[in-house]
Amino acid sequence: MTSQEVAFDRQTIEALQPIHPPPTTFFSKYIWSLDHKVIGKQYLWAGLIFLLLGGTLAMMIRWQWGFPGQPVPVLGPTLLRSSGGVIGPALYMQLFTMHGLIMIFFAITPILIGAFGNFCIPLLIGARDMAFPWLNALSFWVFFLSQLLVIGAFFGDLGAAGAGWTTYPPLATNIGTPGSGQTLMVAAVFVTGVASIMGGINYVTTVIRLRAPGMTYMRMPLTVWGQFLTAILNVLFIPVLGSAALLLLMDRVFGTQFFIAGAAAVKGGGDPILFQHLFWIFGHPEVYILILPAWGIVADLLAFFSRKPANWYKGTVLAMSAVTILSAVVYGHHMFQTGMNPLLGQGFTTLTLIISVPAQVLFLNWLRTIYKGSIRLTVPMLFTLGMVFVFGLGGLTGLYLGAAAPDIYLHDTMFVVGHFHFTMAAASFLASLAGIYFWFPKMFGRMTNPTLGKIHFWVSSVGITLVFSGQLLVGYAGQNRRLWNPFEYELFRPLQPLNRWTSYAAFILFFAQLVFVWNFFHSMARGKKAGPNPWEVGTLEWSIPSPPPVHNYDAIPVVLRGPHELSDPALEARLGRDWVGQAEVVPTEATGTVPLVQRGVT
Amino acid sequence: MEVSHTMSASLPLLLSWISNPFVAVGLPRDASESGWQIDEMIRSTTIAVSILFILMVLWMLWSVVRHGPEHKALYDHGADFKSWRWTALVAALIFVVVDGDLLYRSTRFMFGTFFDFARAEATPGAVRIQINAHQWAWDARYAGPDGSFNTPDDIVVLNDLVVPQGVPVIFQITATDVIHGFNVPNMRMKVDAIPGTVTRMWFQPRETGVFEIICAQHCGANHYKMRGTVTVLPRADFDRWAQITSINSARAFDGKDLEAHWGWNWAAHARLQ
Repeated sequence: MTSQEVAFDRQTIEALQPIHPPPTTFFSKYIWSLDHKVIGKQYLWAGLIFLLLGGTLAMMIRWQWGFPGQPVPVLGPTLLRSSGGVIGPALYMQLFTMHGLIMIFFAITPILIGAFGNFCIPLLIGARDMAFPWLNALSFWVFFLSQLLVIGAFFGDLGAAGAGWTTYPPLATNIGTPGSGQTLMVAAVFVTGVASIMGGINYVTTVIRLRAPGMTYMRMPLTVWGQFLTAILNVLFIPVLGSAALLLLMDRVFGTQFFIAGAAAVKGGGDPILFQHLFWIFGHPEVYILILPAWGIVADLLAFFSRKPANWYKGTVLAMSAVTILSAVVYGHHMFQTGMNPLLGQGFTTLTLIISVPAQVLFLNWLRTIYKGSIRLTVPMLFTLGMVFVFGLGGLTGLYLGAAAPDIYLHDTMFVVGHFHFTMAAASFLASLAGIYFWFPKMFGRMTNPTLGKIHFWVSSVGITLVFSGQLLVGYAGQNRRLWNPFEYELFRPLQPLNRWTSYAAFILFFAQLVFVWNFFHSMARGKKAGPNPWEVGTLEWSIPSPPPVHNYDAIPVVLRGPHELSDPALEARLGRDWVGQAEVVPTEATGTVPLVQRGVT
Repeated sequence: MEVSHTMSASLPLLLSWISNPFVAVGLPRDASESGWQIDEMIRSTTIAVSILFILMVLWMLWSVVRHGPEHKALYDHGADFKSWRWTALVAALIFVVVDGDLLYRSTRFMFGTFFDFARAEATPGAVRIQINAHQWAWDARYAGPDGSFNTPDDIVVLNDLVVPQGVPVIFQITATDVIHGFNVPNMRMKVDAIPGTVTRMWFQPRETGVFEIICAQHCGANHYKMRGTVTVLPRADFDRWAQITSINSARAFDGKDLEAHWGWNWAAHARLQ
């Protein structure tokens, strides 16, 4: 592999990314910062705050399932005074709607894509910043605007949005959910989509144009691959969501009838199913948008902490790319029950099941990476292994739902809820935490407390497994989702104990996050100082100080090898350690001098 | 299914949740002729994925326990053909066995049962029902003695459907306001009720009894109590019920109430695949 696969040679890329004087004012440092690392942290804060908000809503939903119609402790007397602390059916539908939308678009997306994408991509490919720093700052502030719209939705005249996160019309039009809360949420999704597209364009351009000399595509850390593929999906499919949201807004605000159909009570010439097509053409890629960055982080971390190269790197890249492509052609499995043409349904079933081939290649590569390694059970590694565990459960339960026949029974049950929470919530959450614990030293220059980290890991991963397993089990028994009181149905009445136990697990999971909050803030201020490379790994970001200077690299590095060259016996003999930097120049054994090509001279 | 799952007293409930929260976990009773096919593919998939998951966990445990920090890591990229062919082979093998089995069974069910409206329609004595879902109830309409819909002798019921045992019951379903989900778990059947569209499904009750209709699609605040029932009666009992109810419905018929005549021409939507 030669550096010709990279866009620019060293002189050009240095000239393209001159070192600017660091910002001096508070405003340019922390508010309108053009530094990708600061923007990454802005996204991290914004995401974590909304994660707390979405989690609080989840606790209220769990309370309702565990103790239907009983006053909510703590939150009831303060927030729900008008209803005597009880969650009524109308509030309940707002809770699950806002929970879903907030978690997907305003918590996981900013953390996994906004924070890690921004922080990691330039550092890991050896660039000084994003390709478009100004657009990057704009992307964050547009995202922030969308978060303000979400907050505004809570104060809507008839309460917050209530049509479900999928926002199916006609329920999502004024027929089912009048009031400004629903309108503001649809607007918020549109605006956050604008921010995602800006970010996506920036990520794709940065990866294509600003890789350091020698950083070929096949030498990129898998974290970058995950972000790159996610950004491509974002740029391609968020516009579809945007169009659906815009048409829905027009139905709500201007009285158009794109999604309102002509049955007796509701006259109109539109088609509610059209919305579902638009929504899921985006919606299925979206679940991969949320998991590809997590896959990338996990694939890297498994290699780092097994002290081994990632098994069949190229296979993992191919598998992730194949999933990216296939994700665009399977969305119909969300619509099996809409009276879909049998042949179309058969096509979607087949394509959906085919996705399991690349997914298994990916999984087997992870499992073979840890095999015969020298596993260091650090906190990031524990969270990574936890992610593999829950993603295994999530991926395998997807099998039932991908085929049209079992989906007849399981569609719209808690089984679906458990499945997508294992993949999108549990796996994304644990991978995010793995990433936070891993890059925390690089972000803040200090180490987190490993003991607290391990407590956090065990309670979180056991808790999250119990919560979503409980959902799978009641769904298997038929319990439908989105029911204010599932036990109105005699069929589900015997499931009340299991629902209640699941709620207890959820409460423990929620409160265990306090350990993380404490660890995070305490370590930021008082944590042990981290050196440049506390984890002893070779990717580029660990060759510069923690935290890095504003311009990242004094000289753009010249990359010589892949991201996980760990435990190479030849290098180990010469260096006396099991890791080697991606751009580290190792004197040759014969002459003790550095070949010209390695110095980046040719 | 026994309807008397009802635990009205709180003490038994309390005891049951302390003793065993898993008491009710499992597929609900299958009361249909064809539901066993779905149960079978769900169960076989459960066995397959359980094996895969246990193998995965054992593999991870083995690696973590045996290949700890004191173990010397093997420098291996797993990238030469001799190595990656195993990854590819195992992935392909799992796909063929597990996904292949599911795909085969699913296809057989979808084309052999679910979409076989031709067989259902051709069966003598099959019962046809039109459903009009709305917030938050199920309007149902049977053709009545004259065999055609939207006529004065139509049997019209709300929420509580009655069907005969042992013959296909065919539904044509729509909704007036928002999307609902017509869902009868004990018959293993479910299809959306969508404004502006007529969707279809059918099942053949194997057992008599009362089975719940549960709305599957979020349809507003009272979605949770959009409950109906399907009562399966022996054929003779059903015929007697139909006769009486048709007379009652005809007596209540109001020719000027056009909103009440929401039925449609059955044949227009009974296209046979």
